[in-house]
Amino acid sequence: MSESAPDLGRSGVIHDLGYRHYSGVREGTPAIARTLFVTGLRHAYGLGRSGKSKVMPFLLLGMSLLPAAIVVGVVVLTGLGDLPVSYADYTNQTQLLVSLFAAAQAPVLFSRDLRHRSIVLYLARPLSAPMFALMRWLSLSLALLLFMLVPTLVLFLGALLAELDTGDQVAGLLKALVLQVLLATLVAGITGLISSVSLRRGFAVVGSVMVLIVLTGVVSVVQNIAAFEDADSASVAVGLFSPWSLFAGLADAWDAGVNTPAPVDGAWVPAYALVAVLLVAGCLLGLVARFRKVGSR
Amino acid sequence: MTTVTGELIGRTPVIATAGLTKHYGSVHALTDLTVDVGPGVTGLVGANGAGKSTLIKILLGLLEPTAGHASVLGHDIEQASQDIRRLVGYMPEHDCLPPDVSASDFVVHMARMSGLGASAARERSADVLRHVGLDEERYRPMGGYSTGMKQRAKLAQALAHDPQLVFLDEPTNGLDPAARTDMLRLVQRIGSDFGIAVLVTSHLLGELEQVSDHVIVLDGGRLLRSSATTDFLRQTGSLLVEVVGTETERDRLGEELARRGLTCRPRGSMVAVDPPPADLAAEGAAHDLIRDVAVELGLGLMRLEPDRGHLEDVFLEGGARV
Repeated sequence: MSESAPDLGRSGVIHDLGYRHYSGVREGTPAIARTLFVTGLRHAYGLGRSGKSKVMPFLLLGMSLLPAAIVVGVVVLTGLGDLPVSYADYTNQTQLLVSLFAAAQAPVLFSRDLRHRSIVLYLARPLSAPMFALMRWLSLSLALLLFMLVPTLVLFLGALLAELDTGDQVAGLLKALVLQVLLATLVAGITGLISSVSLRRGFAVVGSVMVLIVLTGVVSVVQNIAAFEDADSASVAVGLFSPWSLFAGLADAWDAGVNTPAPVDGAWVPAYALVAVLLVAGCLLGLVARFRKVGSR
Repeated sequence: MTTVTGELIGRTPVIATAGLTKHYGSVHALTDLTVDVGPGVTGLVGANGAGKSTLIKILLGLLEPTAGHASVLGHDIEQASQDIRRLVGYMPEHDCLPPDVSASDFVVHMARMSGLGASAARERSADVLRHVGLDEERYRPMGGYSTGMKQRAKLAQALAHDPQLVFLDEPTNGLDPAARTDMLRLVQRIGSDFGIAVLVTSHLLGELEQVSDHVIVLDGGRLLRSSATTDFLRQTGSLLVEVVGTETERDRLGEELARRGLTCRPRGSMVAVDPPPADLAAEGAAHDLIRDVAVELGLGLMRLEPDRGHLEDVFLEGGARV
């Protein structure tokens, strides 16, 4: 190669640096998992995605906040001695909105990667299929929990503004929080599994609506009829078949301000809790199997 | 059967397999594969269904082998699959890009999924997208990309975390001839300029001739052959001679050469001369003889070149063996 003296007259020279290797820090699995979790949580609310994907989640959130704001206004202005609805019951009353949010947003986290097969690119990276499924489920669970918790906190602030007894309010809030966590994991597992199996968004939404809204409606009707016919244990047993009746049953048993058609007590309480936990575990196992299968194709 | 080729002796292989087997019920995707892969560009060639993609998926830990062992970059595929996936990049054969995301956002996200921090991921993605040749398009959703652009984006995500080895599964699939040439040149650069070991598959033999240092041929899940590309394209010792004129001139030359002790046969418009006998084996002796004969017969010599083998010949040889 010939060497020439540098041209001192020119100052701006564009260098093609060629390929540069990366010698910086490489994060471990926990940090990668956290990134996936945070990204998933943001995507559930349409953040970091297109403008129109933010419409649905925030519209639903606004709708679920509206009654809470009205309740707060009424309580503060009229000086009622107590909130007209308990924290846990508020979530129960707005279950249609929670169910719609889950049905609409689960496909974002559980269908897209499988439909477009980008799951293969994830599984060719450090995170394993179980870790991937777990993080996706945690993202949707937290998104759902926030969806339920925000109106609950609005109610709580209103109660504090109205100078209601703080001890009672905190106790009610904590009970509601525990129940909401359980409900969020349940609903996220169910809608996640449905979305990972039916990859067309429309089918996934319809499937989730069938399970969360239609099935819950049927369970509720049967529970009421059974209770009316004085078949209390039948009424309670039927409650095991829908996430919302599980939530209401546990709230009833725990005295969190939700009333079921027939009281849930005795051995039914651990049965409800066990079914809820098994349901979550089953959904998670199903998700892992599903991701593994699609990832290896 | 063990195959370790000359250029690998004394170095840790990038990939080593021992008796690797994958059976799906009665379908034998891969049977008793024992092969070592060194640095540089290695072509993995075989017809569709020969077991190329299966091999890559086993090495990545996406599929479990029915039997046998393998290691990638010194890590065992069963015990340290996660460590392997940190160090390698993978470009699958099929479409795997979400249509509503831009290549830029997607490659950044994938770099982060390989453990790069946010700013490092952005920097590397911009670099890599430039190297694969995606310019302004990188900010558009990938759903509107041509096949060539999609292949580039797929390649970019495989390189985003600066792997030590990349698996490229049919990177030229669906590309037009110009884009195919571009992609092959890029594959070659990854092996040479970027210093990343490459295992690239193709069902087209001719493509891999151009870019690989080493070629592994699979047929029906079995190893047919593994050796340096130069061995495949070895000079057979035969010569090809072409003279001006028609078949008459060709035959005149052939007959005269045969009389002087060379074994000849016609091949198309040319005369193929078998490796010369001992008395003409000296360097250039056969060439001189052919030149002299052409002059004596008054024939215009158009071409005189060594006859090279082709990758295709491996299949012909292998076919005879099976």
